[in-house]
Amino acid sequence: MSKKHKISLTEEELVLSLRNHEKIAIEALYDMYSASLFGVISRIVIDTTTAEDILQETFVKIWHSFSSYSTEKGRLFTWMVNIARNLAIDKIRSKDFKNQNKNQEIENNVTFIDEQKSTVYKPELMGVKDLVEGLKPEQKSIIDLVYFKGYTHVEAADELGIPLGTIKTRLRMGIQQLRKHFN
Amino acid sequence: MEDIKAYIETGILELYVLGDISPDEKLQVEAMALKHPAVKAELDAIELSMELYAEENAVEPSENLRGRILGSILTNLGDDRNFNAAPDHEESDFYEEDNIVLLSKPSGNNFYKYAFAASLALLIASTIALVSVYSRLQQSNGQLIALQLQNQHFTNRVNLMDKELSVFRDPSFKLLKLQGTKNHDMAVMVAFSPAKKKVMIDMRNMKLPQNDKDHQYQLWALVGGKPVDLGVFDATADSTHMKEMKSIALADAFAVTLEPKGGSVNPTMDQMMVLGKF
Repeated sequence: MSKKHKISLTEEELVLSLRNHEKIAIEALYDMYSASLFGVISRIVIDTTTAEDILQETFVKIWHSFSSYSTEKGRLFTWMVNIARNLAIDKIRSKDFKNQNKNQEIENNVTFIDEQKSTVYKPELMGVKDLVEGLKPEQKSIIDLVYFKGYTHVEAADELGIPLGTIKTRLRMGIQQLRKHFN
Repeated sequence: MEDIKAYIETGILELYVLGDISPDEKLQVEAMALKHPAVKAELDAIELSMELYAEENAVEPSENLRGRILGSILTNLGDDRNFNAAPDHEESDFYEEDNIVLLSKPSGNNFYKYAFAASLALLIASTIALVSVYSRLQQSNGQLIALQLQNQHFTNRVNLMDKELSVFRDPSFKLLKLQGTKNHDMAVMVAFSPAKKKVMIDMRNMKLPQNDKDHQYQLWALVGGKPVDLGVFDATADSTHMKEMKSIALADAFAVTLEPKGGSVNPTMDQMMVLGKF
């Protein structure tokens, strides 16, 4: 599917057609948000096949529980990305996913752990660094840990050895920086 | 207003957008957003920036995944629609269902009614036919028996007449007319064949008074002057056949006497009715 064929609707149109369970709604939803959601999911769940399964689960869940979304509670994407993140986090914390990882070869584990700890730089994240100017590394790492790794801010504080208050401040500052950048 | 600003500064709105917040705090943030436009605006700004950040970090999934995911959702779309649509039509469905029940039930009942009536009529008709056929069969059987009896009777008669005729045709038979000794009106015809040792009396042309139930006529053969018993017989008006008596090879004369029932050893001479000599 090339880009020019992608369906795009305004958020209001999309919400309305999703409520009516229209075929075009789910197609538009996929075309507009699958890459953003997959970006989040595939950073939490490293394995591509698993990430694709989670993306499918995410869209199925969005489709079936759309009645629980209300525009008053916020943006559609916020609601969807939280579904995606929760499904992805549930997956990596599930027993069979952990067992599956225990059976990985040692060689694979080296890169797997590297990927999990984000010590290697992903090519798709290289461009982001250029775009998001002024985002300090410590701010970015907290945002990434919480947003892309599924950490709670409490876990992130433990992971980075930083007090909770500092985590919250850095998170806020980082997002402020993002806002400035996108404006 | 200072409170609101401080509330925003805590960073709770960022955690809300990231979903990293307890359910109680979540409700609290939503309540605040409803109450204070500034909170709502701040939330929107955070959400938008995170959305754009995700967009910057987007990873395009493989192209065949689109078909797979949309397919898995859309295959059930028809079912989902039916499921959702059902409650809206509940009332009309009930109405239709009522109509169907009302229309179909009597027609179903009628069919069985007619079927039952038809079977009953058929049963009655068959019973009547059976009875009539049975009675005709009985009638035919009766007729058949009557015909068989008649046939037998005729066969008997033909046999008898054949036998009688053979007596007259047989040249060995000699006919002898026994004449009344006292009353000349009396007469008995006797046929005798010495060769076949047969004696027969013609019951039809017998001219003897009817005997009572205590007496019977007895036929005697006189051989060398001595009477030999040839058996008893009754003189009745309706006898027509030739009666075969006891056999004897030789006889000079025949005589009939009236004896007590069952016959006597010796003839009662004063009761001699008819006598005939060769």
